[in-house]
Amino acid sequence: MASSRRPFLSREPKREWDQPPKNMRPPGSLPIKDYAIETPLKKSSEGQIFHEVKINLDPKSSIAAVNFVLKDEETGAWYQHRGRDFKVPLVDYILNDGSVVGVNGGFNIWPGAFLPNMLLKSEEMPSKDQDSSSESKDTKQENRHVEGFYEEQPITKQVVIQNSATVSVTKCPKTAKNLLYLETDLPGEVVVHWGVCRDDAKNWEISAGPHPPGSTVFKNKALRTLLLSKDGGNGCSRLFTLDEEYVGFLFVLKLNDSTWLKCEENDFYIPLSSSSSFPAQPGQGQSKVVLESEKTVEANKEVSQISYTDDIISEIRNLVNDISSEKSRGTKTKGAQESILQEIEKLAAEAYSIFRSSIPTFAEEAVSESERQETPTKICSGSGTGFEIVLQGFNWESHKSGRWYMELKNKAAEISSLGFTVIWLPPPTESVSPEGYMPKDLYNLNSRYGSIDELKDLVKCLHEVGLKVLGDAVLNHRCAHYQNQNGVWNLFGGRLNWDDRAIVADDPHFQGRGNKSSGDNFHAAPNIDHSQDFVRKDLKEWLCWLRDEIGYDGWRLDFVRGFWGGYVKDYVDATEPYFAVGEYWDSLGYTYGEMDHNQDAHRQRIIDWINATNGTAGAFDVTTKGILHSALERCEYWRLSDQRGKPPGVMGWWPSRAVTFIENHDTGSTQGHWRFPNGKEMQGYAYILTHPGTPAVFYDHIFSHYQSEIASLISLRNRKKIHCRSTVKTTKAERDVYAAIVDEKVAVKIGPGHYEPPSGSQSWFLAIEGKDYKVWEAS
Amino acid sequence: MRFKQNPSGPTTFRFGVVLPVSECNTINHAKAISAGLKALKLLGVEGVEMPVWWGIAEKEAMGKYKWEGYLTLAEMVQDAGLKLHVSLCFHANEELKIPLPEWVSRIGESDPGIFFADRSGHHFRECLSLAVDDLPVLDGKTPVQVYQQFCKSFKSSFSGFMGSTIIGIKMGLGPNGELRFPSHSRVGKSCKILGVGEFQCYDKNMLNFLKQHAEATGNPLWGFGGPHDAPSYDQMPNSNSFFKDHGGSWESPYGNFFLSWYSSQLLSHGNRLLSLASDEFGGSTVTTYGEVPLIHSLFKTRSHPCELTAGFYNTDNRDGYEAVAEMFARNSCKMILPGMNLSDEHQPQESLSSPELLLAQIRTACRKYGVVVSGQNSLVSKASHHFEKMRKNVLGENVVDSFTYQRMGAEFFSPEHFPAFTEFVRSLNLPEKHADDLPEEEEEVAESLQRSSESSIQMQAA
Repeated sequence: MASSRRPFLSREPKREWDQPPKNMRPPGSLPIKDYAIETPLKKSSEGQIFHEVKINLDPKSSIAAVNFVLKDEETGAWYQHRGRDFKVPLVDYILNDGSVVGVNGGFNIWPGAFLPNMLLKSEEMPSKDQDSSSESKDTKQENRHVEGFYEEQPITKQVVIQNSATVSVTKCPKTAKNLLYLETDLPGEVVVHWGVCRDDAKNWEISAGPHPPGSTVFKNKALRTLLLSKDGGNGCSRLFTLDEEYVGFLFVLKLNDSTWLKCEENDFYIPLSSSSSFPAQPGQGQSKVVLESEKTVEANKEVSQISYTDDIISEIRNLVNDISSEKSRGTKTKGAQESILQEIEKLAAEAYSIFRSSIPTFAEEAVSESERQETPTKICSGSGTGFEIVLQGFNWESHKSGRWYMELKNKAAEISSLGFTVIWLPPPTESVSPEGYMPKDLYNLNSRYGSIDELKDLVKCLHEVGLKVLGDAVLNHRCAHYQNQNGVWNLFGGRLNWDDRAIVADDPHFQGRGNKSSGDNFHAAPNIDHSQDFVRKDLKEWLCWLRDEIGYDGWRLDFVRGFWGGYVKDYVDATEPYFAVGEYWDSLGYTYGEMDHNQDAHRQRIIDWINATNGTAGAFDVTTKGILHSALERCEYWRLSDQRGKPPGVMGWWPSRAVTFIENHDTGSTQGHWRFPNGKEMQGYAYILTHPGTPAVFYDHIFSHYQSEIASLISLRNRKKIHCRSTVKTTKAERDVYAAIVDEKVAVKIGPGHYEPPSGSQSWFLAIEGKDYKVWEAS
Repeated sequence: MRFKQNPSGPTTFRFGVVLPVSECNTINHAKAISAGLKALKLLGVEGVEMPVWWGIAEKEAMGKYKWEGYLTLAEMVQDAGLKLHVSLCFHANEELKIPLPEWVSRIGESDPGIFFADRSGHHFRECLSLAVDDLPVLDGKTPVQVYQQFCKSFKSSFSGFMGSTIIGIKMGLGPNGELRFPSHSRVGKSCKILGVGEFQCYDKNMLNFLKQHAEATGNPLWGFGGPHDAPSYDQMPNSNSFFKDHGGSWESPYGNFFLSWYSSQLLSHGNRLLSLASDEFGGSTVTTYGEVPLIHSLFKTRSHPCELTAGFYNTDNRDGYEAVAEMFARNSCKMILPGMNLSDEHQPQESLSSPELLLAQIRTACRKYGVVVSGQNSLVSKASHHFEKMRKNVLGENVVDSFTYQRMGAEFFSPEHFPAFTEFVRSLNLPEKHADDLPEEEEEVAESLQRSSESSIQMQAA
């Protein structure tokens, strides 16, 4: 494997790339523009499979980290660390930076794959002008430096293996029998499960003898015959004698317990000479099939699931690291344990990906009834039932009337009849700002939207019409009641009369005495320090009180960038909501003012947050909204397909946790911080309401002239049972049109360009049509 | 990987996982199950439980059994080197869309009297009423005879696995497989607090038995139906006079008459089926099990209404579980108790519930009669306190004989759940496992696994 590696350095533990100083560049390095260098890896020694490069670091330089990505020259494939750079920190690293690799156990995030392991090794190298004997002393003094560093990172290389099998059939004139010769270049032991059939129904039947020696009957339906290896050891083959009354030869190949080879999804079928349907010369037929190792095929098909399995793997990885760090370092046992756990995580990921996809897999039996039980709808807080459609039940102006709860109550029946299942209400607490996002006394639920009794009444009415209700919980910050002796507003009143220990220490405005924030700071109010046990206990109590007192079924969590997702998990576990969604909103990636096509880093940050909550909460799919902006505004519909042909937002990676939306009270309404392209809203809704993920519709849109169009999209989604885990097949992603088929029963196109769903096995009829979008249903 | 030799009988596994229910006949997910089994084996899980449904294996006609799907599954379990508990399910499960056999449902359509009924005449169609156990309602055969034939056919079809791979049989005893009346069948699923439930003595055969019993004991007027002053399903005990803590009619002579009869019906039913099971499967090769529900709601009231409606005459004044334990002991049957993951502090205050106290009471009764208890969790949960509780129940001073965890499936392997489960299983193994004396067999497994994944390019660290 000829690989090249582009290591390079940055001076601060941020994401910016900088070229390393000349004295650090290993021989053979080439500069890439002005921000990186490319260095080929060398084989570490003859006959070994490792490749390595040594980089001398100058401890006196102010280099903070080495960032790199890997490129496989052979295939051109790039290897990244969960969509981001690999990073080797050289000084104190920031813990919540998920891209750091190789720090001590418990916080490692492993890229999700099983194949080649990669080693990162780092030792403090004394620079040449220093006395080498001072090395140890040197590292002690400079304890900001990482003293030792060793990390293995598995990365995946997908290898497509092509093998072929050839079957030739000859009629033996003497015996009136068909001689069938099957040969293949598959390595190792290959067992053929085979049978014959008498008609086109292709029902398996055991042929009359004689059978090749050693054949065994399998479940009364098939024969099991081992192929004999050919002389020279390349592949194997076998000869079968078949009576002429049979019209076809059916088979599948078994390589080992878990690997079966089939023809697409079916058995291989070889028509015998008597079959009229086979256009070859009578008496002789030959067919050749190309086999791909099934595992590889699957890997290709299931790329979209890699991100899921990543989650499992990283979780288990964390666990493994925790466990192994406790154990003594007996290398032999540790190695054995490690490979066992590796195998477990791989198997669990495999099992999960199959269980959750509804595609039936090959069963050893030819099963007559293929009725598949639908998996019962299980409710989990990250996705509800999976069939939720959310309404944001307010906008930025809703507080103005002072009686929003009562106004909304009058609309309850209408909202339910439009097909929504969940409604998100505005933040209910007393607040310094009228919209409710600057909460003060959390237990005072008289707000500009109405009184606590009106709220209870509203929730009751919403429940009566079958809606689940989300409370908007602002947990990141809280406005203080009193000033401290320095005149700083950092003492709280009301039932939760916290002092400055409840405030994070790293915002100088509020002189908090808590720990440093576990996330970003919101500078307009004191940020709550969720690492304090008393704070978490109080907040859990408060949320449970809201749930029991008001009847909220779940949460919309404000500004979750501000604190660690693990705390959110804690809150969700304590309150067991029906549905929970967090607002993790940061900026997409731009280069020279133009939005990057690849927003993997952006969606990865959201995924990382969801992952930190252990999947107990979903997140608004800001990535999808951003990409829709560019695609629609600039007529660049190709942006709606990522490199793997999947949806480019969070929805493409973790659909069940993606809450898709095109507008909310911040982005639109009267604030308009990031307004959806004007007049193109319906294309946005046609997209999110036909795609997986849990769509959320904005109040201003459903109560506008768009209502009937949105309502028909919702009704179609409900009717066709599209859910948060539905499968999407992108069928077109070009300049002026994007089209996809969802769950093989709904086709959608957006954009001015032309598209018609393929007239193949299904027939499609146009269900909804609007400006620059169309939706079809399969009949 | 380690099997505990049980002095009283065959080998048992200490920790197992219940297989998915919905795929048993078609094995749609053969590959997933096979991968899952291997993962469990490597984790150190010792066995799995396989539900075998009456409605699937004897679907079309009486005596026409189809075991193929289950045989394949058993083979997979065997190949994975795991042990197997088989749970014979003579009930349906609407939620999982597993029906009763078609021919039984047809009979039920013309004669709904074979099903339990509540006061308003609503029939519970997920299992047969215990009142018909010995009545020839199934085309001239009694349900007990049909169950017995089912067991016989199962035994002969799986004879190759019996005692080697299959080491336990759980006999289905009623709704959801448990020994109980379906007293909470009509309760809204969204209800946070369980109401008292309803007595299920209103199908024609039960009413008939009640009448005979009332007449025989000289109180013919008590034989027309269940208590008139019992609340309905979702109501709380105090909403009518039967279950009232003080002066409730449950404490009256009539109350005692009715509750004794009602609970004895359940006991005799349990006895019929467990003795059938021990006849068919008893002996040294497999252990038989029956499941007793953990009806912990309203346990802290004096009358224990939920237990009463479910058929356990257990109140402040009377231990209703000793008779149950004695019945299990009589049939040399082990008792499965669910709810091992539940703890009192996580029950809603208003439910007056105490899973821990109830569990302790049943286990005391079992100890008294020498009945071995086997544990189960109530549901897949990712909440850590569930795992902690299970860990205590499995490893604590009251060690259970074995524990089965339900249930394998997408949620089980999901990133929300599987890591916690892994951690849980590993914590069970910890006391035995020291890094320095990891058994050699594990290394062999690991090595062979590496060999089997030749297609992958391995780079091993030096």
